[in-house]
Amino acid sequence: MTMILIAIAYLAYAAFWVRLSLHAVVWLRAARQQAAGPAAAPGKPLHAFAMTLIDLLLFRRLFASNKPLWLGSWAFHTAFFIVILRHLRYFLEPVPDFIVQVQPFGVFAGYLMAFSLAYVIFLRAVTKTKYVSYQNYLILGLVFLISATGLLMRNYFPPDLVDVKSFVMGLVAMRPAPLPAGFFFSLHFFFVLLLVPFLPFHLFTAPFVAFEARKREFRLDKVMHDR
Amino acid sequence: MTGNGEKKKAAPNDRSFTKGLSPLQLIEIDACTQCGECLKYCPVQDVTGNPLISPPEKIRVFREFIKATDGLKARLLGPQLIDRKLLEDFTKAVYECTTCGACGQHCTVGIFTQRLWPMLRKEMVRRGLGPIGPQVNLPKVIGETGNPYNRLAAERFAPWFPEHVKVVDRADIGYYAGCTGAYEATPMVRGDVLVLGAIGEPFTMLPAEDEVCCGFPLFITGQHDMLEDLVSRLVAAYQAKAVKTLLCSCPCCVNIMSRDWPLFYKKELPFKIRHITQFVAASMKSGKLAIKRELRERLIYHDPCYLSRGVGIMEEPRAVLRGIPGAELLEFDRNRLESRCCGAGGAARKIFSENAIEMGRHTIAEAVEKKADKLVLSCPACYAKVNEAMVGYDKQIEIVDIMELLAKMIEAVDSGTP
Ligand code: SF4
Ligand code: SF4
Repeated sequence: MTMILIAIAYLAYAAFWVRLSLHAVVWLRAARQQAAGPAAAPGKPLHAFAMTLIDLLLFRRLFASNKPLWLGSWAFHTAFFIVILRHLRYFLEPVPDFIVQVQPFGVFAGYLMAFSLAYVIFLRAVTKTKYVSYQNYLILGLVFLISATGLLMRNYFPPDLVDVKSFVMGLVAMRPAPLPAGFFFSLHFFFVLLLVPFLPFHLFTAPFVAFEARKREFRLDKVMHDR
Repeated sequence: MTGNGEKKKAAPNDRSFTKGLSPLQLIEIDACTQCGECLKYCPVQDVTGNPLISPPEKIRVFREFIKATDGLKARLLGPQLIDRKLLEDFTKAVYECTTCGACGQHCTVGIFTQRLWPMLRKEMVRRGLGPIGPQVNLPKVIGETGNPYNRLAAERFAPWFPEHVKVVDRADIGYYAGCTGAYEATPMVRGDVLVLGAIGEPFTMLPAEDEVCCGFPLFITGQHDMLEDLVSRLVAAYQAKAVKTLLCSCPCCVNIMSRDWPLFYKKELPFKIRHITQFVAASMKSGKLAIKRELRERLIYHDPCYLSRGVGIMEEPRAVLRGIPGAELLEFDRNRLESRCCGAGGAARKIFSENAIEMGRHTIAEAVEKKADKLVLSCPACYAKVNEAMVGYDKQIEIVDIMELLAKMIEAVDSGTP
C-alpha cells in the first residue's frame, strides 16, 4: 500500500509538471503579435498592480457580478489558502514561526472550506445557472472529499502526526518512509494526489489576466484622447 | 490576398490552433474559470438561450482543440483528429456572437473577449472553416468595389451629400464617412457633414473611389490578408491631403483605426483619429457651435459597444446631447462600459438577422419603458438594424442618430423654423 501510494504521488507530481510545461510551451510559442493596440500608450503599471492586488485579494470582479456566489467562492479560496499554509508544517523542518501562528486559523479554515464549498455547490444547484461546468463540479467534489476526510481525521480519527511528518518529509526528500496508520489518512492523501494533476489552471493564470485587464482599463481612456 | 487564399487548408505541420493568438490570449483561455457569470450579460444568450454558444463553452471547446494539436498525446503520437461537426459547430458559435465584449467587461477574471473572439475567428479562417455565409465574399467584393456592400463608388456620397457644404482639397481635418454610413445609414453621415459644415472649420474628404473600406468587416470576420494594403492606401491618401485629425462617426471604423491601423501600418499614424462627437463636443464648448433651438424631449442614448468598451468614448456624446437646450438625457440600465449590445455588431447582423432583430427590440423596449421620446444611436450598423427591428414591432419610438438630431436642430434655425 505504501509503495503504491508513493508511486502515485510521484506520478501525480510528474503529471502536474508535464501539464504545466505543455501549457507553458503553448504560451511561449504563440505569435508575438499584439492583442490590442495601441499598446504603447503610457499605462500606470504601479497603480494597475495595486488595483490588481485588491481585485485578486477580494475577488472584486466576482463581487461585482454575483454577491452570493462571491461570498462562497471568496471564503473557499481564502480558506483553502490558509489550509495549505497550515499543512506546510508537514513539509518544513524547522517549522517557520508564521506557520506555527497560523495553525489555529488553519483549523477554522478547514471548517470554512468545507462549508463554503457545500454552500457554493448548493447555490449552483438552487439558482438558475445557465452554464454548468461538469469538470468544475468534479473538482469541487474532490476538494470537498479532501476537506471532509481532513476534518474527520482532525476530530475523530487522528493519525500519528510524527508519522505523517516523516512520511511527507520522506516523500519530499525522495527517501520514502512508511505510510502512517489510518484509513482516513490514506484516503485523504489519495484524494489530494488525484487533485494535483487536475489543479485548475486559472489558479496560475487568472492573476496575470486580471493585471492585464486593469492595465487595459487604465489605457482605455488614452486610445482616443490626448495622452 | 483573396478569400480563395484564405480557404486553403492548414498545412499538416501548421495544425496548431495557437498560431494566430498572442501569448496573453492563450493565457486567457487557460484562465477562464468556467463560472458562467458572463452569460448573464450576453445579448446572444438573451435571445437564443443556447449555452453552447456561450463564452465558457467556446473557451472549453477551443481548449480541446489546443489539446488535440499541442497536448501530450499530440506531442507523442502526432496531432489528434478533431470531429468535423465539432469544428463546424464551434465556427458557427464564434460567428453568431456579436463580439460586443460585454462578457469580457463582466468576466470574473478579466478576459478581453472583444479581442479574443475575432482572433478565434481568424484561426477558423486559417483552417478553411470560417467565415460563414456571404462573409466569404467580403475580400473579393471589397477588392473590386472598395466597400463590403458591393455598391458603386459613384453612389457612395452623391445620394446624401448636402450640396451647400463645402469640402476643401487639403485641410488639417479629414472626414471619413465609412461604408455602412454611406450606403446603409445615410441620415447619419448626412448629419455628420451638416454639423461639420455648421462648425465652419475647413475639412477635406477623399474622392468616393479612394475612400475605401477601413478594413473592419475583414478584421472582424477573421480575414486579415487585405488589411495592410487597405490601411496603407488610406493612410497615404489622408497624408497627401495634409490631414492632422481624421474624424469619423462609425464606432467600428474608429476602433480599427485607432487600435489596429498602427499595427497594420507598422508605425504610428501620421494623424490622430477622433470620433465626431469629440470634435463636436469641443466645438460646442468653445462656442464654435451653438444650438439655439430648444428641444423639450426626453432622449435616451445607447452606447455602441465598439465606441464605449472599444475605445472609451462615452462622455462626449452625452456632452453633445446635454448641449441641446431643453433636452433631458435618460440612461439605459446598462450604460457606458456596461452597455448592452443592440444586436448589430460582429458582422452577424445579416447572417443571424433574427437574433439581431430580437436584440434590437430589447433596446427599443427599454427605451419605450423609460418613456423616452427619442432613441439616440451613434453607430450606422445599430442604426440600420434597430430601425429594421422596429418594423412590425408593437413598441415604437423615434430612432435618430446623434448627428442627424443635431443637424436637424441646426437646420431648423438656418431655415428659420422656430
Ligand atoms: S461578445 Fe457579446 S455576444 Fe459575444 S459572447 Fe460575449 S457577450 Fe455574448
Ligand atoms: S465570466 Fe470569464 S471566467 Fe467566467 S465563464 Fe465567463 S469568460 Fe470564463
